[in-house]
Amino acid sequence: MLSLRIGRSCTSSSPLLRLVAIQHRSYTAAKPQTNARIVNSASAQKQIQDIENNASKILRAVQLRTAERRKLRSEMTETFSTAEDIQRMKRLKETEDIQAAWTEWESTRELLNETIALLADEDPAMCAMAQEEYISLLSTLSHLASTKFPELLVPNSSTGHLSALMELKSGVGGSESSLFLSELLRMYMRYANVMNWKAALVGSNELDGGGTKDAIVEITGSGAYDALRWESGVHRVQRVPATETSGRVHTSTVAVVVLPLVEEKSVNAEEDLFSMDDIKLEVMRARGAGGQHVNKTESAVRLTHIPSGITVSMQDERSQHQNRRRAFQVLRARLMDLKIAAEIKSRRDVRRNLVQGADRSEKIRTYNFPQDRITDHRIGLTLTGINYVMEGDGLQSIIDPLQFHHNESVLADMLDEVPS
Amino acid sequence: MSIAALVARFGRQHALQEIKWLKSAVQDNQHALEHLINRRLTGEPLQYILGTQPFGPLNLLVRPPVLIPRPETEHWAIQLAQLLSPTPAKPLSLLDLGTGSGCIPLLLCHLWPSGSLYAHGIDCSPDAVQLATDNAESVGIRLLSASTRRDGALTHNVFKPELASYLDPTVLNLLEPPYDVITANPPYIPRREYDDLPSEVKDYEDQRALLGGEDGLIFYHAIAKLVADGLLAEHGTLALEVGHDQAPRVQEILRAAAHMESIDVWLDPWGKQRTIIARRS
Repeated sequence: MLSLRIGRSCTSSSPLLRLVAIQHRSYTAAKPQTNARIVNSASAQKQIQDIENNASKILRAVQLRTAERRKLRSEMTETFSTAEDIQRMKRLKETEDIQAAWTEWESTRELLNETIALLADEDPAMCAMAQEEYISLLSTLSHLASTKFPELLVPNSSTGHLSALMELKSGVGGSESSLFLSELLRMYMRYANVMNWKAALVGSNELDGGGTKDAIVEITGSGAYDALRWESGVHRVQRVPATETSGRVHTSTVAVVVLPLVEEKSVNAEEDLFSMDDIKLEVMRARGAGGQHVNKTESAVRLTHIPSGITVSMQDERSQHQNRRRAFQVLRARLMDLKIAAEIKSRRDVRRNLVQGADRSEKIRTYNFPQDRITDHRIGLTLTGINYVMEGDGLQSIIDPLQFHHNESVLADMLDEVPS
Repeated sequence: MSIAALVARFGRQHALQEIKWLKSAVQDNQHALEHLINRRLTGEPLQYILGTQPFGPLNLLVRPPVLIPRPETEHWAIQLAQLLSPTPAKPLSLLDLGTGSGCIPLLLCHLWPSGSLYAHGIDCSPDAVQLATDNAESVGIRLLSASTRRDGALTHNVFKPELASYLDPTVLNLLEPPYDVITANPPYIPRREYDDLPSEVKDYEDQRALLGGEDGLIFYHAIAKLVADGLLAEHGTLALEVGHDQAPRVQEILRAAAHMESIDVWLDPWGKQRTIIARRS
């Protein structure tokens, strides 16, 4: 089925990236080592120290949150009813889980101290029990530091509720590129199905000889954009094309852009991403006298958003009204994408974020059919079992590590702002 | 190969687009597709082959020889839906003259709030009345049977398609004036232009929906007379589609024969003066 290998990035010596490595290793389903070596008090102290040192910034950030909670509590008025109180309550509610995890950390830490004292107990039965207890407590401590705290510290995604609009364009490689585009399109539509999202082909240009020159697919459902946003970039395929007689391996590419989809209904006029005054709407081709004189279907439209220079053409629907609606939907998604990119830039998130920050013209992933492997170049992830991924089910195994990597960089930027 | 013939006839891009629509109608069945393309090559309109035409958010049935809804009509009907805003507390009554497929009243019934519109449509063609009735059922708009008068408050938007000609002098007996809104896409093609129409229009669509007499204006005169006779309410709105060069003359007719002074002209998406919006005061 599926195996996984992690590349260079995990050998880094930075504590944070080591955390990434610890996490990634869990994808290989390796269990913590449980060899029954006897631990003495000094080496136990050292192991705990290591966990604390590696997670020092994370612990500091968690402590700041708990300090903030104490301050908020002390500021509450007696009646609990002022507007400020309501704000404070909200903030307290938000940090409840962190507090609970911190309490668990402190009690685990205390138990560990007590257990360490018993590690060298004269009674062999007691000693054995303490050893066992120690291993279990240490694993709790490690889990809190490396997984639980980071999870709680990364803020909820502001785009978590958004659907996605995916644009696929064939690149180098001619008809082979178009054939691969059809396969990618199928993969995303099947993946959407697995995730219980709705996938609808908004527009596509199919070629006479099979394959698709370009396509736009709408994937509706909560979390669709957040999961699929990592697919933006150039996807490269290496294989012997079906049409190739000499058996030579070709390299072709497909460019993917994933845009956040904003529902028309959810935007009110002031918050909308554009003003109608900035839109130039053109209908394609002359229609002569038009009206009753002509019954040829002329439904294509083109929108231009003048300030940004974005143009959207749509001709796949038989009614102009529908093409217009689709075109506005694509325009909104592109503008939303620009807005999110600007926000990320201003938040400095992009600095260490290889995934989101990547140029869309950059090669992100290679599908090598002769070797039956997929490599994601951004995080050095290699999977074998191309079919499993192309069938839609396996895509999650690529998206998960990318999402994890993203969370790591968000966390890293957040920790950079924590005063030491 | 018939696909090549389609490309030669319509140009590459348009032909590919049509093939795609035809394909989805036959679920990629190659043999059936071949048959549809051959029908298309004889000049039969795409819409009749597919049996439907989207109109705003509605997907309407189309059948020969009833006029296929045009994008120009779709455009102004949507605009009209935004111009007026009836509510169940302040409902409107509407008369659509020459309703054809029923596209205009059905779109308004669909877009306006439930219980805010009573729409009456007449047509001189039994085919059209049947199609408009079928369309109402297909898009889920309540029907009121012909010759039934409406009474009491509306609980839904209602459409009443009825067989009648508005050139018939006794038509007023059958109608329920005054109406708050009158809409029409009357036959407006002059005889000389009619003779030069492309085969896919002239040989398939009903002459009675296209030909507006020698000068293309006879139906506007008839409408102006009906308005003068009190068919439109005091502050009512008249929305008329006109031919590509008829707006000035139709305005003149409305001023002279119906004393309508407040007149706007709307452009269609191709920049042609396409719709006259007139009020009595």
